Amino acid sequence: MTSRKVDFLRELGTIGVGHATIALSDMLQGKLLRLEVPDVRILRFGELAEFIGGLDQTVAGVFIQISGDVSGYMAFILPVECAAVLVKLLVGNGRSGEVFDALGRSAIEELGNIMITSYLNALSALTGLVMKPSIPGLAIDMAGAVWQSILAGALVDDEVTLIRTEFSAEGVAIDGNIILLPAEDEFKKIARVLGLEEM
Amino acid sequence: MREVFVNMGQIHGMAGDGILTTVGLGSCVGVALYDSSAQVGVMGHIFLPQSRPHSAKVELPGKFADTAIPALIEEAVRLGAQKRRLWAKLAGGANLFANLAGPNGNIGMQNIQAVLAHLKLHDIPVVGQDVAGHHGRKMRFYVDTGRVTVTAIGKDPIDI
Repeated sequence: MTSRKVDFLRELGTIGVGHATIALSDMLQGKLLRLEVPDVRILRFGELAEFIGGLDQTVAGVFIQISGDVSGYMAFILPVECAAVLVKLLVGNGRSGEVFDALGRSAIEELGNIMITSYLNALSALTGLVMKPSIPGLAIDMAGAVWQSILAGALVDDEVTLIRTEFSAEGVAIDGNIILLPAEDEFKKIARVLGLEEM
Repeated sequence: MREVFVNMGQIHGMAGDGILTTVGLGSCVGVALYDSSAQVGVMGHIFLPQSRPHSAKVELPGKFADTAIPALIEEAVRLGAQKRRLWAKLAGGANLFANLAGPNGNIGMQNIQAVLAHLKLHDIPVVGQDVAGHHGRKMRFYVDTGRVTVTAIGKDPIDI
Protein backbone atom coordinates (compact mmCIF):
# COMPACT_ATOMS: atom_id res chain seq x y z
CA MET A 1 0.00 0.00 0.00
CA THR A 2 1.33 3.41 -0.95
CA SER A 3 1.72 6.22 1.56
CA ARG A 4 -0.82 8.19 -0.53
CA LYS A 5 -3.35 5.48 0.09
CA VAL A 6 -2.65 5.51 3.81
CA ASP A 7 -3.08 9.30 3.80
CA PHE A 8 -6.37 8.94 1.95
CA LEU A 9 -7.65 6.34 4.40
CA ARG A 10 -6.52 8.43 7.36
CA GLU A 11 -8.40 11.40 5.91
CA LEU A 12 -11.55 9.28 5.50
CA GLY A 13 -11.16 8.15 9.09
CA THR A 14 -10.71 11.71 10.31
CA ILE A 15 -13.86 12.89 8.58
CA GLY A 16 -15.93 9.93 9.71
CA VAL A 17 -14.72 9.90 13.26
CA GLY A 18 -15.03 13.68 13.53
CA HIS A 19 -18.74 13.34 12.89
CA ALA A 20 -19.07 10.29 15.11
CA THR A 21 -17.50 12.06 18.05
CA ILE A 22 -19.65 15.15 17.56
CA ALA A 23 -22.68 12.84 17.78
CA LEU A 24 -21.27 11.23 20.92
CA SER A 25 -20.45 14.60 22.42
CA ASP A 26 -24.07 15.69 21.83
CA MET A 27 -25.30 12.56 23.58
CA LEU A 28 -22.98 13.26 26.50
CA GLN A 29 -23.90 16.96 26.60
CA GLY A 30 -20.50 18.16 25.52
CA LYS A 31 -18.48 16.01 27.89
CA LEU A 32 -16.27 14.67 25.14
CA LEU A 33 -12.78 16.01 25.48
CA ARG A 34 -10.28 14.59 23.12
CA LEU A 35 -9.99 12.69 19.90
CA GLU A 36 -6.86 11.11 18.48
CA VAL A 37 -5.74 11.24 14.87
CA PRO A 38 -6.92 8.06 13.18
CA ASP A 39 -4.47 5.24 12.92
CA VAL A 40 -4.46 3.34 9.64
CA ARG A 41 -3.12 -0.18 9.93
CA ILE A 42 -2.60 -2.77 7.30
CA LEU A 43 -2.05 -6.02 9.14
CA ARG A 44 -1.26 -9.54 8.09
CA PHE A 45 -3.81 -12.01 9.43
CA GLY A 46 -1.16 -13.49 11.72
CA GLU A 47 -0.48 -10.10 13.31
CA LEU A 48 -4.05 -9.56 14.46
CA ALA A 49 -3.84 -11.32 17.83
CA GLU A 50 -0.93 -9.16 18.92
CA PHE A 51 -2.67 -6.01 17.63
CA ILE A 52 -5.84 -6.80 19.60
CA GLY A 53 -3.89 -7.59 22.77
CA GLY A 54 -5.45 -8.70 26.08
CA LEU A 55 -7.49 -11.41 24.37
CA ASP A 56 -9.34 -12.43 27.52
CA GLN A 57 -10.10 -8.89 28.76
CA THR A 58 -13.79 -8.10 28.61
CA VAL A 59 -14.88 -5.60 25.95
CA ALA A 60 -18.13 -4.24 24.57
CA GLY A 61 -18.44 -4.37 20.80
CA VAL A 62 -21.11 -2.96 18.51
CA PHE A 63 -21.04 -4.36 14.99
CA ILE A 64 -22.81 -3.16 11.85
CA GLN A 65 -22.84 -4.33 8.24
CA ILE A 66 -22.77 -1.70 5.50
CA SER A 67 -24.66 -2.17 2.26
CA GLY A 68 -25.51 0.03 -0.71
CA ASP A 69 -22.98 1.47 -3.17
CA VAL A 70 -20.18 0.55 -0.79
CA SER A 71 -20.26 -2.60 1.29
CA GLY A 72 -18.21 -3.30 4.36
CA TYR A 73 -18.28 -3.58 8.11
CA MET A 74 -17.91 -1.23 11.00
CA ALA A 75 -17.42 -1.81 14.67
CA PHE A 76 -17.13 0.20 17.83
CA ILE A 77 -15.13 -1.67 20.49
CA LEU A 78 -14.13 -0.51 23.94
CA PRO A 79 -13.04 -2.05 27.25
CA VAL A 80 -15.99 -2.92 29.45
CA GLU A 81 -14.89 -0.44 32.16
CA CYS A 82 -14.98 2.37 29.58
CA ALA A 83 -18.38 1.20 28.35
CA ALA A 84 -19.57 1.33 31.96
CA VAL A 85 -18.35 4.95 32.27
CA LEU A 86 -20.29 5.90 29.14
CA VAL A 87 -23.43 4.07 30.29
CA LYS A 88 -23.27 5.92 33.60
CA LEU A 89 -22.84 9.24 31.79
CA LEU A 90 -25.78 8.44 29.53
CA VAL A 91 -28.33 6.79 31.79
CA GLY A 92 -26.69 6.71 35.19
CA ASN A 93 -28.79 9.17 37.10
CA GLY A 94 -30.08 7.50 40.24
CA ARG A 95 -29.54 4.01 38.87
CA SER A 96 -27.99 1.33 41.03
CA GLY A 97 -27.13 -2.30 40.51
CA GLU A 98 -25.98 -3.96 37.31
CA VAL A 99 -24.58 -1.45 34.77
CA PHE A 100 -25.25 -3.71 31.79
CA ASP A 101 -28.89 -4.54 32.42
CA ALA A 102 -31.33 -4.19 29.53
CA LEU A 103 -31.19 -0.38 29.71
CA GLY A 104 -27.40 -0.27 29.97
CA ARG A 105 -26.95 -2.68 27.06
CA SER A 106 -29.39 -0.77 24.96
CA ALA A 107 -27.61 2.52 25.79
CA ILE A 108 -24.22 1.24 24.67
CA GLU A 109 -25.69 -0.40 21.56
CA GLU A 110 -27.42 2.84 20.61
CA LEU A 111 -24.30 4.86 21.30
CA GLY A 112 -22.29 2.60 18.98
CA ASN A 113 -25.08 2.75 16.43
CA ILE A 114 -25.17 6.55 16.42
CA MET A 115 -21.39 6.87 16.17
CA ILE A 116 -21.17 4.41 13.30
CA THR A 117 -24.15 5.93 11.49
CA SER A 118 -22.68 9.45 11.85
CA TYR A 119 -19.40 8.17 10.46
CA LEU A 120 -21.14 6.64 7.47
CA ASN A 121 -23.32 9.69 6.87
CA ALA A 122 -20.20 11.84 6.71
CA LEU A 123 -18.60 9.53 4.14
CA SER A 124 -21.86 9.38 2.17
CA ALA A 125 -22.17 13.17 2.11
CA LEU A 126 -18.58 13.47 0.93
CA THR A 127 -18.84 10.91 -1.86
CA GLY A 128 -22.52 10.78 -2.79
CA LEU A 129 -22.30 7.01 -2.38
CA VAL A 130 -25.01 5.21 -0.45
CA MET A 131 -23.69 3.45 2.68
CA LYS A 132 -26.57 1.95 4.55
CA PRO A 133 -26.02 0.54 8.05
CA SER A 134 -27.72 -2.66 9.18
CA ILE A 135 -29.32 -2.90 12.59
CA PRO A 136 -26.55 -2.99 15.21
CA GLY A 137 -25.47 -6.03 17.17
CA LEU A 138 -23.90 -5.85 20.64
CA ALA A 139 -21.63 -8.31 22.40
CA ILE A 140 -20.03 -7.93 25.82
CA ASP A 141 -17.47 -10.69 25.99
CA MET A 142 -13.77 -11.64 25.77
CA ALA A 143 -11.87 -9.25 23.48
CA GLY A 144 -10.53 -12.13 21.41
CA ALA A 145 -14.01 -13.54 20.86
CA VAL A 146 -15.55 -10.17 19.97
CA TRP A 147 -12.79 -9.13 17.55
CA GLN A 148 -12.61 -12.58 16.05
CA SER A 149 -16.36 -12.72 15.43
CA ILE A 150 -16.25 -9.30 13.74
CA LEU A 151 -13.29 -10.25 11.54
CA ALA A 152 -14.92 -13.56 10.60
CA GLY A 153 -18.20 -11.76 9.90
CA ALA A 154 -16.26 -9.49 7.55
CA LEU A 155 -14.64 -12.59 5.97
CA VAL A 156 -11.23 -10.92 6.16
CA ASP A 157 -8.56 -12.36 3.91
CA ASP A 158 -4.81 -12.52 4.45
CA GLU A 159 -4.50 -8.78 4.84
CA VAL A 160 -6.72 -6.55 6.95
CA THR A 161 -7.02 -2.78 6.63
CA LEU A 162 -8.22 -1.13 9.80
CA ILE A 163 -8.98 2.53 10.35
CA ARG A 164 -8.99 2.98 14.09
CA THR A 165 -9.50 6.04 16.25
CA GLU A 166 -9.32 6.46 19.99
CA PHE A 167 -10.90 9.16 22.10
CA SER A 168 -11.42 10.11 25.71
CA ALA A 169 -14.43 11.47 27.60
CA GLU A 170 -15.05 13.20 30.93
CA GLY A 171 -11.39 13.14 31.86
CA VAL A 172 -11.49 9.36 31.67
CA ALA A 173 -9.49 7.76 28.91
CA ILE A 174 -11.98 5.83 26.84
CA ASP A 175 -9.90 3.59 24.66
CA GLY A 176 -12.78 3.38 22.26
CA ASN A 177 -11.96 2.02 18.84
CA ILE A 178 -14.04 2.82 15.80
CA ILE A 179 -13.06 0.42 13.07
CA LEU A 180 -13.95 0.50 9.40
CA LEU A 181 -13.37 -2.72 7.50
CA PRO A 182 -14.26 -2.34 3.82
CA ALA A 183 -13.28 -4.81 1.15
CA GLU A 184 -10.20 -3.78 -0.85
CA ASP A 185 -12.23 -2.78 -3.93
CA GLU A 186 -14.51 -0.59 -1.88
CA PHE A 187 -11.71 1.84 -1.02
CA LYS A 188 -11.08 2.25 -4.74
CA LYS A 189 -14.74 3.05 -5.32
CA ILE A 190 -14.59 5.89 -2.80
CA ALA A 191 -11.26 7.14 -4.20
CA ARG A 192 -12.63 7.13 -7.76
CA VAL A 193 -15.69 9.16 -6.77
CA LEU A 194 -13.43 11.71 -5.12
CA GLY A 195 -11.46 12.06 -8.35
CA LEU A 196 -8.32 10.45 -7.01
CA GLU A 197 -6.38 8.33 -9.42
CA GLU A 198 -6.14 4.61 -8.88
CA MET A 199 -4.34 3.79 -5.67
CA MET B 1 4.05 -26.62 32.99
CA ARG B 2 4.69 -25.27 29.50
CA GLU B 3 1.71 -23.38 28.04
CA VAL B 4 1.50 -22.54 24.35
CA PHE B 5 -1.12 -20.11 23.01
CA VAL B 6 -2.84 -20.96 19.77
CA ASN B 7 -3.97 -17.79 17.99
CA MET B 8 -6.43 -17.44 15.11
CA GLY B 9 -5.46 -19.64 12.20
CA GLN B 10 -2.58 -21.30 14.06
CA ILE B 11 -1.83 -24.95 14.77
CA HIS B 12 0.40 -26.06 17.63
CA GLY B 13 1.21 -29.46 19.02
CA MET B 14 3.23 -31.06 21.78
CA ALA B 15 4.13 -34.42 23.25
CA GLY B 16 4.19 -35.22 26.97
CA ASP B 17 3.72 -32.46 29.48
CA GLY B 18 2.15 -29.11 28.62
CA ILE B 19 -0.94 -27.05 27.97
CA LEU B 20 -2.30 -25.81 24.67
CA THR B 21 -4.58 -22.78 25.10
CA THR B 22 -6.83 -20.73 22.84
CA VAL B 23 -8.20 -17.52 24.24
CA GLY B 24 -11.22 -15.75 22.87
CA LEU B 25 -13.06 -18.23 20.71
CA GLY B 26 -16.11 -16.47 19.28
CA SER B 27 -17.34 -17.87 15.98
CA CYS B 28 -13.99 -19.66 15.67
CA VAL B 29 -13.80 -23.32 16.61
CA GLY B 30 -10.98 -24.66 18.78
CA VAL B 31 -10.12 -28.26 17.90
CA ALA B 32 -8.04 -30.55 20.11
CA LEU B 33 -6.81 -33.87 18.71
CA TYR B 34 -5.28 -36.40 21.09
CA ASP B 35 -3.55 -39.75 21.07
CA SER B 36 -3.45 -40.87 24.71
CA SER B 37 -1.04 -43.77 24.15
CA ALA B 38 1.54 -41.48 22.58
CA GLN B 39 0.58 -38.56 24.84
CA VAL B 40 0.50 -36.30 21.79
CA GLY B 41 -1.89 -33.40 21.47
CA VAL B 42 -2.43 -30.80 18.75
CA MET B 43 -4.71 -27.80 18.74
CA GLY B 44 -6.12 -25.58 16.02
CA HIS B 45 -8.04 -22.29 16.12
CA ILE B 46 -10.22 -22.41 13.01
CA PHE B 47 -11.49 -19.08 11.64
CA LEU B 48 -13.70 -19.91 8.63
CA PRO B 49 -15.32 -23.08 7.26
CA GLN B 50 -13.85 -23.16 3.78
CA SER B 51 -10.64 -22.01 2.07
CA ARG B 52 -11.20 -19.94 -1.04
CA PRO B 53 -10.94 -21.81 -4.31
CA HIS B 54 -8.87 -19.03 -5.94
CA SER B 55 -6.09 -19.09 -3.37
CA ALA B 56 -3.79 -21.72 -4.81
CA LYS B 57 -1.58 -21.69 -1.75
CA VAL B 58 -3.21 -21.27 1.63
CA GLU B 59 -0.83 -19.26 3.76
CA LEU B 60 -2.21 -20.56 7.06
CA PRO B 61 -3.82 -23.99 6.65
CA GLY B 62 -5.09 -23.71 10.22
CA LYS B 63 -7.37 -20.83 9.23
CA PHE B 64 -9.98 -22.92 7.39
CA ALA B 65 -11.73 -26.11 8.50
CA ASP B 66 -11.09 -27.95 5.21
CA THR B 67 -7.33 -27.34 5.32
CA ALA B 68 -6.92 -27.30 9.12
CA ILE B 69 -8.14 -30.84 9.89
CA PRO B 70 -5.60 -32.57 7.56
CA ALA B 71 -2.86 -30.21 8.83
CA LEU B 72 -3.73 -31.03 12.47
CA ILE B 73 -3.60 -34.76 11.76
CA GLU B 74 -0.28 -34.37 9.95
CA GLU B 75 1.20 -32.44 12.88
CA ALA B 76 -0.05 -35.04 15.40
CA VAL B 77 1.50 -37.86 13.36
CA ARG B 78 4.74 -35.93 13.02
CA LEU B 79 4.88 -35.72 16.84
CA GLY B 80 4.41 -39.48 17.16
CA ALA B 81 0.64 -39.99 17.25
CA GLN B 82 -1.13 -42.70 15.29
CA LYS B 83 -4.03 -41.42 13.21
CA ARG B 84 -6.35 -44.33 14.09
CA ARG B 85 -5.99 -43.58 17.82
CA LEU B 86 -6.88 -39.87 17.59
CA TRP B 87 -10.00 -38.42 19.15
CA ALA B 88 -11.26 -34.83 19.00
CA LYS B 89 -12.73 -32.30 21.40
CA LEU B 90 -14.25 -29.02 20.18
CA ALA B 91 -15.22 -25.67 21.64
CA GLY B 92 -16.49 -22.41 20.15
CA GLY B 93 -18.61 -21.75 17.09
CA ALA B 94 -20.75 -19.20 18.92
CA ASN B 95 -22.85 -16.45 17.38
CA LEU B 96 -22.00 -13.32 19.35
CA PHE B 97 -23.81 -10.87 17.10
CA ALA B 98 -27.41 -11.81 16.45
CA ASN B 99 -27.50 -9.44 13.45
CA LEU B 100 -24.78 -11.37 11.64
CA ALA B 101 -26.72 -14.44 10.58
CA GLY B 102 -26.79 -14.73 6.80
CA PRO B 103 -28.84 -16.96 4.50
CA ASN B 104 -26.59 -19.93 5.35
CA GLY B 105 -26.84 -19.43 9.09
CA ASN B 106 -24.15 -17.84 11.19
CA ILE B 107 -20.41 -18.38 10.73
CA GLY B 108 -20.07 -20.12 14.10
CA MET B 109 -22.55 -22.79 13.05
CA GLN B 110 -20.93 -23.14 9.61
CA ASN B 111 -17.56 -23.61 11.31
CA ILE B 112 -18.92 -26.34 13.62
CA GLN B 113 -20.54 -28.20 10.73
CA ALA B 114 -17.41 -27.98 8.57
CA VAL B 115 -15.16 -29.20 11.39
CA LEU B 116 -17.49 -32.14 12.16
CA ALA B 117 -17.69 -33.07 8.46
CA HIS B 118 -13.91 -33.05 8.00
CA LEU B 119 -13.31 -35.03 11.21
CA LYS B 120 -15.82 -37.61 9.99
CA LEU B 121 -14.03 -37.80 6.66
CA HIS B 122 -10.92 -38.91 8.59
CA ASP B 123 -12.84 -41.23 10.98
CA ILE B 124 -11.88 -39.21 14.03
CA PRO B 125 -14.48 -39.53 16.80
CA VAL B 126 -15.63 -36.43 18.69
CA VAL B 127 -15.58 -37.34 22.39
CA GLY B 128 -16.38 -33.94 23.87
CA GLN B 129 -17.71 -30.56 22.82
CA ASP B 130 -19.01 -27.26 24.08
CA VAL B 131 -20.15 -25.36 21.01
CA ALA B 132 -22.66 -22.82 19.62
CA GLY B 133 -24.59 -20.44 21.90
CA HIS B 134 -23.90 -16.71 22.12
CA HIS B 135 -20.77 -16.34 24.27
CA GLY B 136 -17.00 -16.41 23.89
CA ARG B 137 -14.87 -19.23 25.26
CA LYS B 138 -11.35 -20.01 26.43
CA MET B 139 -10.14 -23.57 25.85
CA ARG B 140 -7.23 -25.28 27.65
CA PHE B 141 -5.92 -28.67 26.61
CA TYR B 142 -3.72 -30.60 29.07
CA VAL B 143 -1.57 -32.79 26.89
CA ASP B 144 -0.40 -35.11 29.71
CA THR B 145 -3.95 -36.40 30.32
CA GLY B 146 -6.10 -35.21 27.40
CA ARG B 147 -8.23 -33.15 29.73
CA VAL B 148 -9.89 -30.14 28.08
CA THR B 149 -11.48 -27.32 30.07
CA VAL B 150 -13.66 -24.53 28.72
CA THR B 151 -14.24 -21.24 30.52
CA ALA B 152 -16.59 -18.38 29.69
CA ILE B 153 -17.32 -15.05 31.36
CA GLY B 154 -19.82 -15.46 34.18
CA LYS B 155 -19.88 -19.27 33.92
CA ASP B 156 -18.17 -22.02 35.87
CA PRO B 157 -15.36 -23.80 33.98
CA ILE B 158 -16.39 -27.14 32.52
CA ASP B 159 -14.53 -30.26 31.44
CA ILE B 160 -15.45 -31.58 28.03
